[in-house]
Amino acid sequence: MKVKESEYLKLKKPILEKLLEKLLVSYEYASILANDSKSTNYRVSKTGTSISEDGTLSERGFCVKVYDNGKAAEYSFSAIEEDTVDAVFDEITKRLDTLGKTLPDGVTAFRFDGVEDEKLYINESTEYEVDPEEKGDNNIIDLLTRISEKGRAYDEKIIDCNVAFSYQKYSKMFLSKNKDLTQNVMWSCGHIVAMAKDGEEVQNSYKPVSMLGGIEVLDTLESKLEEACKTAIELLSAQPMIPGEYDCICEPDVTGMIVHEAFGHGVEMDMFVKDRAQAKDFIGKQVASELITMHDGATVIPQVATYFFDDEGVVAHNTTIIEKGILKTGICDAQSAMHLGVAGTGNGRRQDTTRKAYTRMTNTIFEAGTSKVEDMIASVKYGFLLCQASSGMEDPKNWGIQLMVDIAREIKDGKLTGKIFSPIVLTGYVPDLLKSISMISDRIEAGGTGFCCKGDKEAVKVSDGGPYIKAKIRLG
Amino acid sequence: MKAKILASLKRLSIEEYMIYVKSYKSTQMFFVKKSLDCKRAENTQIYNVNVFRSFEKDGKKMKGNSSVFVYDGMTDEEIDATLSRAYLAASFVCNPTYEAMECTENKFLTMESDLFDYTLEKCCEKISQALFAEDNREDAFINSAEVFAYEVGVEIISSTGIDSGYIKRTVSGEFVAQCKEPQDVETYKDFRYNNLDCESLKSKVRKTLEYTLERAKATEAPKAGKYRVIISDSYVGNVFSYYSERAQAGYIYAGYSTFEVGQNVQALDAEGKVAGIKGDKISMTLVPTEPLSGEGIWQRDLELLDNGVLKTYYGGLRFSRYLGIEPTGFFGCVNVAPGTMSVEDMKKEPYLWVVNFSDFQMDDFTGHFGGEIRLAFLYDGEEVRPVTGGSINGSIIDSQTTMHFSKEIQRSADFVGPYAMCFEDVPVAGA
Repeated sequence: MKVKESEYLKLKKPILEKLLEKLLVSYEYASILANDSKSTNYRVSKTGTSISEDGTLSERGFCVKVYDNGKAAEYSFSAIEEDTVDAVFDEITKRLDTLGKTLPDGVTAFRFDGVEDEKLYINESTEYEVDPEEKGDNNIIDLLTRISEKGRAYDEKIIDCNVAFSYQKYSKMFLSKNKDLTQNVMWSCGHIVAMAKDGEEVQNSYKPVSMLGGIEVLDTLESKLEEACKTAIELLSAQPMIPGEYDCICEPDVTGMIVHEAFGHGVEMDMFVKDRAQAKDFIGKQVASELITMHDGATVIPQVATYFFDDEGVVAHNTTIIEKGILKTGICDAQSAMHLGVAGTGNGRRQDTTRKAYTRMTNTIFEAGTSKVEDMIASVKYGFLLCQASSGMEDPKNWGIQLMVDIAREIKDGKLTGKIFSPIVLTGYVPDLLKSISMISDRIEAGGTGFCCKGDKEAVKVSDGGPYIKAKIRLG
Repeated sequence: MKAKILASLKRLSIEEYMIYVKSYKSTQMFFVKKSLDCKRAENTQIYNVNVFRSFEKDGKKMKGNSSVFVYDGMTDEEIDATLSRAYLAASFVCNPTYEAMECTENKFLTMESDLFDYTLEKCCEKISQALFAEDNREDAFINSAEVFAYEVGVEIISSTGIDSGYIKRTVSGEFVAQCKEPQDVETYKDFRYNNLDCESLKSKVRKTLEYTLERAKATEAPKAGKYRVIISDSYVGNVFSYYSERAQAGYIYAGYSTFEVGQNVQALDAEGKVAGIKGDKISMTLVPTEPLSGEGIWQRDLELLDNGVLKTYYGGLRFSRYLGIEPTGFFGCVNVAPGTMSVEDMKKEPYLWVVNFSDFQMDDFTGHFGGEIRLAFLYDGEEVRPVTGGSINGSIIDSQTTMHFSKEIQRSADFVGPYAMCFEDVPVAGA
């Protein structure tokens, strides 16, 4: 089934076209992004049940972008009717004209030359099997409750089992002089968090599922319950890591965090514009092992960051960032592309229509290799299998790594010993880690239950992943 | 729109509800080096409606709720359909029943701030000028910055008679300082003020430029081992979240935390046994950053810890009702009493003073804290040198009886308390 177009946006389209027409008289370029998005979160745990629309992802809103004598400006609003077009237009021109009249000493407004606005028409929808709204809130809650109760009964050390499902169904419309774009997208996610307690210490284990589609994502969630409970209990007896550099095998979610946090952020080309990314000086150079080929793009895989055009009206791409270890290019939003004199890659994304567009990742992965996971583990004399990525922070300027994983499983003479260490901080220099990759598994896994931020804000949905990788990594 | 929502609730015979209206006006400026790259303005409004439904299940009284958004321009039919869907959903939410939030006092406040003396455009321009005022060095400079001026209006209307609200203004933003020699490095900082606090921002920029210069000189990572670790600035506030989170009614009700009122929670070891406190004792007050919580609770300061002893639990309506305590809402600011050592006293013995992490994490469940070191000063008893790289991996449960806080204090929108704190024997993964 294809996701249906928003009736609300269909109604607003002629009104927005009128506003656009007026804006194009006053400015050399004008566009309008309209969003009708609904996202609902369902949660069940020992402490209770909740069903609520998501405040970050749900909205009906509009963002106007103009270039005024080359100067970029935007205005966000949430209401417009046939009889308020003139008032909205007046408010836009008045407020944008007033702002920035006085700039700090030595600061000037940047002027962009000739905004590209090629003729383009898109009206596309993603597919799903079962719409969560049709499945019904009662059936969703029943399923989550069953899994949560089963988890809580697993062992007396399990103090809670938080089970959640969320989805977002959105329609976006982008209008400019030459563009008339509409897309209708739905993704869904679920997760289990098993919590175990011993004394003052509480440990948890997180098992996610995500897909481009509907409630069918939950078909595989329950199968992850036992592992979540078992791991949470195991973590209660984990030992602290002895700092050092080790041979490590990374599970796909840890690979995904390396792909996304350690390297992906460094090839966001708005960072090139600001001279904030070392990658700018490494285009055409080796940055990773020859085994590594890396992609980002809304069309790379069908996942939570799949779309047909970005929030600046640029068609979605599949960008090959690293090819056999050589850095080929970065990813780019439209305005950064104008700064750099390159083409946009469809990576201009906004948290919502009240926020600016930045260069953002979408679905980011390493390609698969040829090794078998069991052969990779067997090849390690002493090292660790790294599991359950928990958090990471980018450092495009210095390519420093800060990643945290919950579990390091000890490997001795090619075999898992059953001993586990936690928590684990991965540090080092990104190209050193990527160049040390010596084996890659023959299958990839990707997921996208979390959000990516720019600094500490601007949350957007992304997915990442890849194969199991073997690398030398400094652990602490 | 409020009238349309109330009429729909009446038509649908929904007896218990809370309507939350939030309006945003903002101006935003984005700078790259010495250029204004983009400017933005905003005028938006959201309507969130939380509907409650009481019912019985297996002989027990239950109350479910579900919240939805209603948008400007929706017809009466669309609002009815949205709210009736939410009301149906509430019947599947099986939570033990609890009393609704009663109306204590209805009023509309304008939060005091000198930001109301200017237009939002002027606020944005003035804070931008303060930001760039210190950007006049040859050796370090502001690479890029974002500046926001917000006016947020909140209004809460409930079936129990609450009809209150407030308006507040803030300025906030972030900047990146860069130094190119002897190596190219940068430091990220954010800021948030409830007043036009230009002098605080100037000081922050000046200090950040100085630290960035130091980081440019740092090339080596500390050797792996255990160190006397000092942390300072905003990271100190993050550590105290371990105590404020674990005293939340939600954590207590769920059994995630075993903190007990009257217990010296700072003296607990990993097994939950009481040990003696050799370091500084924590006295902590929670301070609201909004006068009215999202559940319609008028908020006031709350004493949480006195010399390590937990004075009360706190939290939102449902869990507070379950625990039989007064609902307080949540708090945006933590106020901690200063300690007994000056920063200079802390620096008399060998130390690793981390002034900048790439991302400092405090895990409230496990008690672990740490992060990758962007810049630290290492004193080995003979000389002080800047270091970078490696990470610290500490445990508040292991450290809480021996940690010390500085006499010097820091102030920000979310933390007022010691400028620095010191931990003994913290594992560091280094070179």
